[in-house]
Amino acid sequence: MRITAQAKVEARERIVVSALRLFASNGFSRTTTREIAEAAGVASGTIFNYFPTKESLAMAVIGGALEDGERNFLRRRRGDEELAEDLFAHVLEGLRKLKPHRRYAGEVLEKAMSPFTSPELTDDGGRVRSAHLKTVSQVLAWHGISPTVVVFVSHLYWTLYLGVLAFWVNDSSKKQEDTLVVLDQSMRLFAAALAEDE
Amino acid sequence: MSPDLQHLISGLTQGSPAEASPRDALHQLASVLAQRPIPVGRMMRSRTICSAQSRIALTYLAYWLRHGYAGDVGEKERCLNETHLSAALELFSTMSYLRGAFMKVGQLLTNYPNVLPVQFIDTLKALHFEAPPMHFSLLREFVHDELGKDPTDIFETFETKAFAAASLGQVHRARLKSGQMVAIKIQYPNVGRTIREDSKNLMTILSPMRFTDDWENLKRQVEDLCQTLETETDYCEEAARLQRVGRLFEGDDRVIVPRFYPEFSTRRVLTMDYLDGAHLDEFLTTDPPAALRHFYGELIYRISHRMLYTGRVVYADPHPGNYLFHNDGRLGLLDFGCCRDLTTEEWDYFCQVHGAPGSQEHHLKALKRSMEVSDSRPVSPQHIFHVEEFCRWFREPRQFNGDFDFGDEKYLGHGFNLVTDGVRRGYVRSKPVNTWLLRDLFGICALAFRLGARFNAKAIFEEESSASPAY
Repeated sequence: MRITAQAKVEARERIVVSALRLFASNGFSRTTTREIAEAAGVASGTIFNYFPTKESLAMAVIGGALEDGERNFLRRRRGDEELAEDLFAHVLEGLRKLKPHRRYAGEVLEKAMSPFTSPELTDDGGRVRSAHLKTVSQVLAWHGISPTVVVFVSHLYWTLYLGVLAFWVNDSSKKQEDTLVVLDQSMRLFAAALAEDE
Repeated sequence: MSPDLQHLISGLTQGSPAEASPRDALHQLASVLAQRPIPVGRMMRSRTICSAQSRIALTYLAYWLRHGYAGDVGEKERCLNETHLSAALELFSTMSYLRGAFMKVGQLLTNYPNVLPVQFIDTLKALHFEAPPMHFSLLREFVHDELGKDPTDIFETFETKAFAAASLGQVHRARLKSGQMVAIKIQYPNVGRTIREDSKNLMTILSPMRFTDDWENLKRQVEDLCQTLETETDYCEEAARLQRVGRLFEGDDRVIVPRFYPEFSTRRVLTMDYLDGAHLDEFLTTDPPAALRHFYGELIYRISHRMLYTGRVVYADPHPGNYLFHNDGRLGLLDFGCCRDLTTEEWDYFCQVHGAPGSQEHHLKALKRSMEVSDSRPVSPQHIFHVEEFCRWFREPRQFNGDFDFGDEKYLGHGFNLVTDGVRRGYVRSKPVNTWLLRDLFGICALAFRLGARFNAKAIFEEESSASPAY
């Protein structure tokens, strides 16, 4: 039986929603693709029509959350922010959207976004990285940072961002308040260093 | 290191050559703090201003610490103590949030214009109102976590830029949906917890030190300071105090104590009435008439005495930033974070020591109690004479018939000389509560000095102390 485009979209959606629920309750490692398929009401192998690996599925969820964060950041900007605040708010909006996935985000991000990850697993991480850095470049441009500097500092910034993400994943303080402080201090230092350089 | 700072350190840390190590630690610490880079950005400039303040306060504190490290201990213990002292000094140097606490010491010194070089005064004066700000995105997230919603959803209007600094955070103006203008004090995230942990670490480092009995007393004073810092991080305590103090001045149109709003407050967010008015410097630039200056000096003196004798609260932070002057004779009071609620034992001690002097024997007992020494322990005649001199200075305004001239710099200068002389001589042994009483006393005198105020202090003391149920 031929599956309509609409049915494919719906199946994909069910898979993602089921995965999200199971990852949140059981953790990433403990959740099997069989369980996801069963919860989504599809055959076991069907998942791989949409996502090559379980990690790819997880990154689709996480990537979607981070994209929401990007959109929120752009929507909520007042326009009078200084650079440190803009950088802070950008990361924070992503963390807000990522919060339901915090329990398993570390495992997934380590596989998909680590600089040491093997190439076939970096496509999803690569997309997230590109989208994030595109917004960062835009923010830096708003604050008059020259394009040549932007290219160089993007690598530096990405390392800093991964560090903050790693801290947040493991932050046991109430409502991850420590992450607010780490993020604030990190972005202030980064912005101050850029300001001195300019 | 600047010549002035070097001079200050040398003047304070005179001691025997045998006590070289702690002195080296002090010099080293001051040198490290002095070697911060020249500020190029606003953030760096704020840190360096605070560091100048910290240098001075740390100088005094380290001197007090060092002076407790004295005399008759064996070599092994001396080595052990040096290690602990170095660790304590090192920890102090990393506690950058303590710039708030050290600011308070500096604020005290700021009001004594003849004591410190002018350039220190100008730097320290700025510390009344400046602190590194939280930007709105951080603040919004924090308030959301504390109050459950973004501030722009809770209040009718909310100013995204702070209009004032607090020692552990900052203050924003907003309007409630009812129309009332409010001031919202918001603490920097994580400060409270950091202070608690660092205080514990500091006491852990200091606890094993074995010194003379005086050192045990000094450690209690440091413990007292840490406890007070922790108290300042709890805005619920401040809110409760705000209400108690407000009741003390109910019906008195001259004194405005802001109301607080519990529905918009937590341990780290405090919402209260916004008060307008001018701070002291601004008020003085309007060249107010002498009668108004005398009036305000008297009012500030009365407020302090009523809080103490009726409320049993020591307003230990009476610096210019905490008063708002109106040209119509009303005075607003701000910031009840740094107050000391006297325990029953401390109140009893206060009544005994600061009440009317009785017999010589009673007097000596009271003095020993204030120094926390047992009745059987001898105290040098010089020390007793020094404390008696201070008590005479302290009582002078309240025993003077007529208007006492607080604008006379000789009076304030003499008091400050007595305190610094006492520190130089090592007379640092004192009940911890005396530190707060001293801060209140000097703060009030310094404000009255700045106002050039003359008023009948004796009448105020007699009225307010006789109104106290238990004094």
